[in-house]
Amino acid sequence: MSLERVFFAFVIVLALTLNIGFTVGDISDPTHHNVYELYAAIVVSLIATVMKFGDRSPLGSTMLATSLVADVQLIAAATLWGYLATQTVSADTADFVTVISLAIGALIANVVSVVLLVIEVASLRR
Amino acid sequence: MTADPPQAGRSIFILLRRLRRPLVALIVVYAIAILGFTLISGVDTAGRRWQMSFLHAFYFVSFLGTTIGLGEIPYPFSDAQRLWATASIYGTVISWLYAIGALFSALQDPNFRRIVHESGTERAVRRLRVPFYLLCGYDDAGYRVARELAEDGTPLVVVDAESARVDRIDVDDLQVEVPAVAGDASDPKILTLAGLTHPLCAGVLALTGSDFVNTKIVLTARLLAPNLPIVSAGHDHAWHPRMAAAGADHIINPFDTFAERVALALRTPSLHVIYEALTTQAGTAMDEPIHLPMGHWILCGSDLFTRALRRQLLALDIKVTLVDTKAEDGSTGSTCVQGDPTDPAVLRLAGVEDANALIAGTDVDVDNLTISLAARSANKQIFIIARQIQRRNSSVFRASPADLVTLSGYVVASEVLRAIRAPLLWSFLRRARDEDEGWAASLLTQLREVAGDEVLETWSISVSPAATPTAYAHVERGGSIDLQRLMTRDGGSGDAIPAVPLMLRHGHDRHLLPPLDTPIQEGSEVLFCGAARSRAIMRHATTVHDIPLAANVSNNRHAAAMHSPKADIKSHT
Repeated sequence: MSLERVFFAFVIVLALTLNIGFTVGDISDPTHHNVYELYAAIVVSLIATVMKFGDRSPLGSTMLATSLVADVQLIAAATLWGYLATQTVSADTADFVTVISLAIGALIANVVSVVLLVIEVASLRR
Repeated sequence: MTADPPQAGRSIFILLRRLRRPLVALIVVYAIAILGFTLISGVDTAGRRWQMSFLHAFYFVSFLGTTIGLGEIPYPFSDAQRLWATASIYGTVISWLYAIGALFSALQDPNFRRIVHESGTERAVRRLRVPFYLLCGYDDAGYRVARELAEDGTPLVVVDAESARVDRIDVDDLQVEVPAVAGDASDPKILTLAGLTHPLCAGVLALTGSDFVNTKIVLTARLLAPNLPIVSAGHDHAWHPRMAAAGADHIINPFDTFAERVALALRTPSLHVIYEALTTQAGTAMDEPIHLPMGHWILCGSDLFTRALRRQLLALDIKVTLVDTKAEDGSTGSTCVQGDPTDPAVLRLAGVEDANALIAGTDVDVDNLTISLAARSANKQIFIIARQIQRRNSSVFRASPADLVTLSGYVVASEVLRAIRAPLLWSFLRRARDEDEGWAASLLTQLREVAGDEVLETWSISVSPAATPTAYAHVERGGSIDLQRLMTRDGGSGDAIPAVPLMLRHGHDRHLLPPLDTPIQEGSEVLFCGAARSRAIMRHATTVHDIPLAANVSNNRHAAAMHSPKADIKSHT
């Protein structure tokens, strides 16, 4: 057990949990979704990406790829939300649904990341 | 054979791995700074409380962290915001400095630079589109070979263990871009990286200073690329059988080569003239032979160089006196004087006043120069041969009293070039060495008749319908081809082209000086010698129009590497 591995797994799982926390709720209702949670999800996802840079394990490259997918989806969601917030007319429900659906996409990528992490740990034990 | 992961693109991940910590620090500091600005409230111009949105906070921290500082926007800050901004400035600037510092130290790291350099070389090797040579060892011999090949436009890849020598390639101003790897050439991975298994690799030249490394290169090349021609330099006879067993096509021993040239000049002066005329630029058949005296020779030094010479001299019944600090190992046929050869008293003891020739053959340049000077002052008539070790001392050696200077890197380089550029000429010269002075004298007379005082050139012609269409047209009309036919002018005059056929090769058979009525078969290759004018006429006579590039590539794998558009007729000098 090394501190680095603990931190590595912590960041990856935290990225998933924050992402789920943000997306849970009515998909069309902005009040169900906290902007700070999205912000935290993005930051943790970015840190997870950096942690995976040059990871030597055989699954490292796949994990880096899923992490990049999550980053792209989350940043797209945040950008869209920020853009909607600046519109003077009240935001369309359909547009807000897109913000959450983008975040759900990132959620899938994060799930894959965690699954890969578990596979890697399991194959290590064998 | 296990495949290594491709190197290219790996360096960026190594760099990123090293930058993990600073990047995480940067992200965390930014995240905290941005979060703070969204939480701390300020007062707008109308006196209302307001909070920054994430967009504004990101915008503000971005120009804050990079010290651009556009001011307090959109409204002047409250004291709490200013406090947080102050903390953010220090945090972000420090984390930036940390990240940039880490980036530079990672880029400067010699290990990382080596990897970047290697992947650059690997890319350059992969991009090669014409046959190239893999040259191992970039000392004097390697440099000369590289320069000559580059002048021909033949690309090459250099491997050398010393990175200083590899760096010198950039300075040496070769005429083609030469990818170079700094690494141990006896490491198969390095050789593969340098293009050993590349389909266009035309040959391996193992010219490192160490016989052990050369043998390892030969072995590796033979096993990983079985069909490549391999030329290897070997200094010690003990290694020759091992090199040959490992699969070297040509083993070049600079000491033997030089000793044989000396013996050639002593035994068959005419052949020596031919040799010089054929192998040096602008050599003619009219050159005077150098007159090496027989009689009594003094050899200074007792390493492989003088041992090779002594063997040749003893075979010619020359009285040999060895001078060296080390006691002689009891060999027969030569007297030995123990002492420092740079000491004039020792040289006198060896009989320098009456000797006919002296060879300053130690492995230190200063010693050899000192010996030359001492010998000249003791004997005005003595013929002095000095051995030069370092290329940079050339001007001093030229000014020294030595009559003949030999540089073993130079000897190796010219032999290597001969072996790969003109294999037929090379085998002609090897075979001619066994002939006597009478044979050589008559050949020299013949060459003088043909070329007069013009520069002698050699060229070879491969006989095939594609390469020599005129001669084949003659066959189709019911004639047969012999050498005479190849040497006849076109246009009906029927005059003979002034040239001497030196050698005929068909498969593995080689005929020295074939008679003119020798019938020629398809696939034969003939080596001619004559003036440049004769070559042009013969080229015109045998080929009416231009030949496809690959006309005879399959005949000769060395020729394939030379990519000459005139692949049918190759100039050798």
